[in-house]
Amino acid sequence: MLEYSEPVAKLIDEFKRLPGIGHKSAQRLAFFILRLPNEKVESFVSALREVKEKIVFCDVCNNLTDVNPCMYCASQSRDRSIICVVEEPYNLVAVEKTRSYKGLYHILHGSLSPIRGIGPDELMISNIFPRLSPENNDDVEVKEVIIATNPTTEGEATANYLARLLKPLGVKTTRIAMGMPVGSDLEFVDEVTMDKAMSNRREM
Amino acid sequence: MILETLEATNFRNLSGKITCAAGLNIIAGDNGHGKTNWLEAIYLLATTKSFKTARLTEAVNFGETLAIVRGIVRQSAGISRSVQVAIEGNTKILTVNDKRETVQRFLGQLHALLFNSDELSIVRGSPDARRKFLDGGIVAIFPAFIQTLSDFNRTLRQKNALLQKAHKDELSLEETAKRLEPWNEQLIQNAAKIHKARVRYVERLNEDLEKQLFEKEVVSIRYLSSLEGKGDLNNYAELLEERLKIRVQAELSAGYSLIGPHRDDLEISFDGRDLRKFGSSGQQRSALLILQLSTLSAYFSQHNEYPLFLLDDIDAELDYKRIGRLLEFLSDKTQTFVTTSKESFVQRFGAGAEIINVKNGEALRAETVSNFEI
Repeated sequence: MLEYSEPVAKLIDEFKRLPGIGHKSAQRLAFFILRLPNEKVESFVSALREVKEKIVFCDVCNNLTDVNPCMYCASQSRDRSIICVVEEPYNLVAVEKTRSYKGLYHILHGSLSPIRGIGPDELMISNIFPRLSPENNDDVEVKEVIIATNPTTEGEATANYLARLLKPLGVKTTRIAMGMPVGSDLEFVDEVTMDKAMSNRREM
Repeated sequence: MILETLEATNFRNLSGKITCAAGLNIIAGDNGHGKTNWLEAIYLLATTKSFKTARLTEAVNFGETLAIVRGIVRQSAGISRSVQVAIEGNTKILTVNDKRETVQRFLGQLHALLFNSDELSIVRGSPDARRKFLDGGIVAIFPAFIQTLSDFNRTLRQKNALLQKAHKDELSLEETAKRLEPWNEQLIQNAAKIHKARVRYVERLNEDLEKQLFEKEVVSIRYLSSLEGKGDLNNYAELLEERLKIRVQAELSAGYSLIGPHRDDLEISFDGRDLRKFGSSGQQRSALLILQLSTLSAYFSQHNEYPLFLLDDIDAELDYKRIGRLLEFLSDKTQTFVTTSKESFVQRFGAGAEIINVKNGEALRAETVSNFEI
């Protein structure tokens, strides 16, 4: 027998599909929705519908966008000779916040993880290669690809896989540095990060 | 570091408070009254884990919801800290001086080494137990090594998943090799670190093993790489890379990873013979003790102090002659906790030691019990 009437149980089930939402949170969210006035629910539903209708993958960089190509790929002021490869669209946002990177992006939508059944074919890798030819890039030659996947086992494997494909094509391929967070104190850094920072030290 | 006092509430059947001596502490009592539970409580404070169960909820006394183990640890002459592990349902709350701490920081407060019959798997069990013995000793000296191990294991799991899928999907050898490369590269990096750390650690242990505890019993150990005889182990990373390339087909057919430090072993010889095959159980116990004593020495040479040494049911594992030598050896070194059910043990070794009598889980100082009896 169901704990709740069918429409409520169904809503709870749907919420449980969301990442980070367990049974208790799903129940709370469902009852929150039930107590909302109709027009708020309508606007929530239309926001969901709209996002699915209007948001598409950028044909060039795979970013999620409502204009195709996306604002970064279409921009005239960005440096088209550098591409930064990230795992997820929100990683792009993190790089963008630096305000110092002016190049283009390429979003893979994930990282290699055989455990979760994600191989190279499941990632959006293949459309980066045509971008390296000047004729597909406003006659600008791509000089460097920066691989900014996460410093996890999976992110490293993805970086490694990409580098093996890119290097033979003659494009400079770099990996973002790992180590100390800026503005923090040495004492707050865990041993592993400190270890990485020590081995990636530079001469002054 | 010295454990000064230890209290337990609802942790298994324990109650009461132990005041510990800096040297030898004898936990005495009949079987089934909870002597080992007190050792488990100390082990919990040191590791946040139990040596009896993987599910800590089982250690909460039946019918209760909250178990607390609390100790005062003297770090140096002027610094004592209270450390506490509270188990409530599936959560573990760790506090130092009544302030919540992360596992990582909590683990630095108290260190302990355990000798019991389960640990005998190191000398008589599968290679896995010996690898764990080595890795545990290395982590106690270089905490960052735990990340290398965890990265290695994660990479290994990913690689095995890939091999299994390739096997199932009948992927070509070339395509498999190509997909394996990024995982193998990380595998090699971490494997080389693990190999180097283990080889060095074994060298370190061997240096201390030379100081013999028991006469005429010469124990020696050697790290046995699964790549031995395949090439130059001094260039481990290169050798592993080469072997991985040669064995792609074999790994693909097997559907799991065949080469790496997860296949290595530690060879333990007793008077020049393989202990696992030829050693008597008495010899195996002696050898385990000698290994653990060298673990203590290796720890000391790094930290300049000894961890606590916990010996469960010591008289069931060793004869009195060996115990006598052992306790004499430890006397000016470790804070030691032993459990025994024999009165003769207490009479023979009890002089100068703190004697804790355990009855139905309750700890009582022997002096406060009018007639010390077991």
